[in-house]
Amino acid sequence: METKFGRIKVLYPKQRLIDKIKGHVEALNAGLKEAIKPGRITIEYPRERRELPDNFRGFLLFDVDACISCFQCAFVCPANAINMRGAPNGRYYPCIDYTKCIFCHFCADTCPRGALHRTKIHDVAFSDMDEMLATTEELLKPPEMIREDKYLVKYEIKDGDIVLVKEETVVELAERPKFEIRPAKVSACAHPENCIACTLCVMTCPSNAISTKVENGRRVLIIDPKLCTGCGLCVKECPTCALALIER
Amino acid sequence: MVTIFGLTISEIMNIMVKEGVSIPLIQPLIDFLLKIPIIQYVVALILWKPVFAVLILPGLGGLMISLLFIIWFERKLTARIQWRMGPLEVSRPIAGLMQPMADGMRYLFQEVIVHRGAHKPYFVQLPILAFIPILLPIVFIPAGSIYGINSPYSLIITVALLALIPVTIIAIGWASNSKFAYIGSVREAFMYFAYEIPFMIMVLGMIIIYGTADMATIVEKQGIWGAFLNPFAFLGILITTAMATSRLPFEIAEADQEIAFGPFVEYSGILFGLVMTLAYEKMYIMGLIVSVLFLGGGGGPAIPLLGDLSPAIWLFIKALAVMMVMAFLRSIYPRYRLDQALRIGWNSLISLSLLSLVVAVIVRFMGGV
Repeated sequence: METKFGRIKVLYPKQRLIDKIKGHVEALNAGLKEAIKPGRITIEYPRERRELPDNFRGFLLFDVDACISCFQCAFVCPANAINMRGAPNGRYYPCIDYTKCIFCHFCADTCPRGALHRTKIHDVAFSDMDEMLATTEELLKPPEMIREDKYLVKYEIKDGDIVLVKEETVVELAERPKFEIRPAKVSACAHPENCIACTLCVMTCPSNAISTKVENGRRVLIIDPKLCTGCGLCVKECPTCALALIER
Repeated sequence: MVTIFGLTISEIMNIMVKEGVSIPLIQPLIDFLLKIPIIQYVVALILWKPVFAVLILPGLGGLMISLLFIIWFERKLTARIQWRMGPLEVSRPIAGLMQPMADGMRYLFQEVIVHRGAHKPYFVQLPILAFIPILLPIVFIPAGSIYGINSPYSLIITVALLALIPVTIIAIGWASNSKFAYIGSVREAFMYFAYEIPFMIMVLGMIIIYGTADMATIVEKQGIWGAFLNPFAFLGILITTAMATSRLPFEIAEADQEIAFGPFVEYSGILFGLVMTLAYEKMYIMGLIVSVLFLGGGGGPAIPLLGDLSPAIWLFIKALAVMMVMAFLRSIYPRYRLDQALRIGWNSLISLSLLSLVVAVIVRFMGGV
């Protein structure tokens, strides 16, 4: 090849015959070793399942009794996959659009009562795009599954090499992981001097916990802690930051 | 009275039964079948040694069994060495052994597309014509007392017929009339000359050692296996077998990653099934030749229950072992470039074959076999 530095010739490495033979013998030896005792780490998936970590981000399930309709999941969702839909009881519950969901599980992390919780189910199939919008009813119970697996497979590192450890167990995938319920909060009028008595909070509250009364010529908020679920919607709605969530 | 070649049917039956394969294990069954009117002719014909050699072992039946086995074995072994599972889902209890059969079924029901640019008559008939040089050598390969034709030139005829197979492959590539097929056939032609000459020289060396080209005599003379008499020729013939059957270090003509099966790129359906197995069939014939020349042919501890079949079984097992070694190469080697392979063929292999010729002459002068 002619270049401005002169003629360049690419030589290929000189090898002695003994080195060549050694290379061939090494290749044959390596092949034989693997043929006799292969170090394969394949998991035969439908029949075996890999052991998944406790916080595996899989299909989401929903516990309607724990939900306080705080909308936090819908607010935090980076992919806008969560819709809050009105239920007959006047509350709003999440629906998850799996066409958008990126399985970041911010919703499960942010849920104050652990109503949306993660499972280890990762093999969900939908027949069409419309079906991928999982409504609240569909989120209540785990999807229908045909389990073929008999073994649980773990990767372990032994002598610097990965080995497979098989165990003849069937794990429950939809099991609810341990969740520390955060201290229950309640809405309170932390800065009454800010209140302009717009009553937006009264209209917002889904559980009708807020009412008003007139005291000394001023309209004062009365929050019933028994009815208040601590969802914080009123705090978000308050234009003058008069309300705050405090611990019960 | 009906006569064929001047012989009555009962006379022909007598000849066929007298020269039939005797297998003590199923002798009662054969005796029973020979009494049934029409079936007796079929059974006597199949068990007649020349027909048995071509049809059952080491002929067509052995070819088909080895074909089904070696394709499965190759895929399975390569998968094992490369940390995969290999074919498994078809017939799980026997580790996917039925997979080649299932593939064959698929080929049967697939549409055969003959593209517009093809030279149609050649394109369709060459895969079938390619079977002639594959099946003919079997007639000359003896398995103990089972052989088709006993000739003093049987080794030479077999090797000469084998040399015809690449010609059909080149013709297949030409008839396909496509770019990849053309590249593939040119590569095949290059490789053909690179391995055929050392192969011929090494076979010549073995003929010098044994002093005959009659395969039956060669097998009889092998007190010590040919592999120990002339290890250079054995090594060289193994390498040329790998080259001739396009095993992986020399899988240059087919090269599915770059030219997508080379000469066979345009074929589909059962025609593809036929051309794809050509290399394996050639490997079977070359395995038979290697086992006759170097591994003692049908020699081996006789199994009294199998009678005449015992040497045939030994020959078949030895040929299968050679094929398994060839299949093993696939999993450990990358592919040589064409120029590297030609350098090996014209440089190292010819040197090796000349060396083996010298060794053969020395062995001959030391007293021969």
